[in-house]
Amino acid sequence: MEAPPVSVLPITGGTISMMEYLLQGSVLDQALESLLHRLRGLCDNMEPETFADHELVYLLKGQQGNPFLLRARRSLSHPTVPWHLRYLGQPEVGDKSRHALVRNCVDVAASHSLPDFLNEMGFRMDHEFVAKGHIFRKGVLKVVVSKLSRILVPENTENTEPLSLSYLVELSVLVPAGQDTMSEDMRSFAEQLKPLVHLEKIDPKRHM
Amino acid sequence: MQQREEKLLDASVESLISRVGHLKNVLHSFIYKLENEYERLTWPSVLDNFALLSGQLNTINKLLRNEKTPSFRQQIIIPLLLSPDRDEELAKLTEQRVPVFSHEIVPDHLRTKPDPEVEEQEKQLSAEAARIGPEVAQKQIQTLNKLCSNLLEKLNNPRDDRDADSAAIRQNKPSFNPADTNALVAAVGFGKGLSKCRPPGPVAPGHTGQGPIMSGGPTLQQVTIGGGSGQQQGMGPGAPQQQGQPGKMPCNIKTNIKAASSMHPYNR
Repeated sequence: MEAPPVSVLPITGGTISMMEYLLQGSVLDQALESLLHRLRGLCDNMEPETFADHELVYLLKGQQGNPFLLRARRSLSHPTVPWHLRYLGQPEVGDKSRHALVRNCVDVAASHSLPDFLNEMGFRMDHEFVAKGHIFRKGVLKVVVSKLSRILVPENTENTEPLSLSYLVELSVLVPAGQDTMSEDMRSFAEQLKPLVHLEKIDPKRHM
Repeated sequence: MQQREEKLLDASVESLISRVGHLKNVLHSFIYKLENEYERLTWPSVLDNFALLSGQLNTINKLLRNEKTPSFRQQIIIPLLLSPDRDEELAKLTEQRVPVFSHEIVPDHLRTKPDPEVEEQEKQLSAEAARIGPEVAQKQIQTLNKLCSNLLEKLNNPRDDRDADSAAIRQNKPSFNPADTNALVAAVGFGKGLSKCRPPGPVAPGHTGQGPIMSGGPTLQQVTIGGGSGQQQGMGPGAPQQQGQPGKMPCNIKTNIKAASSMHPYNR
């Protein structure tokens, strides 16, 4: 089930439905340094930002087929910062010529009682992982280079093992629904990262 | 004849002045950018500036090499009048950089020989060159020429199967693995490789102090949480810990909720 389209701002001034444009790729560990150098040159000049996040993915299985998925993310490096809850819709199938994956995206902040709340609501945690890496920005474009790790001992975010020998590289933009100008900019930025990384739109359903 | 030469000289000096003026403007804006906007400056735009500068230097060189340009080396500039007074005309011409045409600025501006340091270095280099003798010098020249032509050839003719060595080296350096890309995208997209529901074996010590836990089936079954979820007895302190367990966790919560709802809070 999909989230209902948010066309009118809720009275409490909650969230506006945004579209996320996404391009993904990966880079091997040994090539990480050169990628970081290149990104530091290409992106806005700011202090290099690293992050360490713990993401939990919650599922709500309704009577129909598709379960409803919510992602809850908390920072391991800043434990007091609020949780971040995100809903990502199905990728829009439309324009085959569009270069990026487009999907509906709703983001909210949440307090630290979020896991309890989701459990009470009936969600069940499906999987979790730890993502550590670097984040860069160029205008509205956001580049995240992260190492995903599997959590071995439940609840223990220290005890993790990397999922693969590569870092995941994601280029994303959040735009309000309706604007469609970003995919060209994303494509030209992705060109500048070749041949280190090939950023492309990867349909997750293909790998199910 | 002389008039023609003079006219040529004038024309070439004019064009040289305008080219140098362009170059000065580009340098000026580049320095300004470097000093004031360095936070927003990106490497491609720095490269663009350098490319622009090099293009302009190229045009100046071409202009000087042009056949119509008379040889400037044969011209001599002699200062006719030096005065320590401020000269307004000169100041206006040079944008306030040379207000006085005096004895101090003449050695710098009308210099024809290189700077003293540069002269020293050149002397050292020519002494060195004279020292090594003509045959050695010739051999060095040939080696350099060979290296340059090799490099040029390699750059101009990319051939993938030239050498087993070079091909192997190129193959050893791919910077990304498409299989990894797919695995990572699948993991982030829907938890492939992450949500392993291991059969609930011995429970991790210290996690649950809630008494016996019925090990339910290892499959993720649908959990209908009716009224029982509100009264999760004994789950209070345990709940935040429970969510950390992937795989084991769904099974445990299911069984716990079952345990809770089987207690029928209203039937006390």
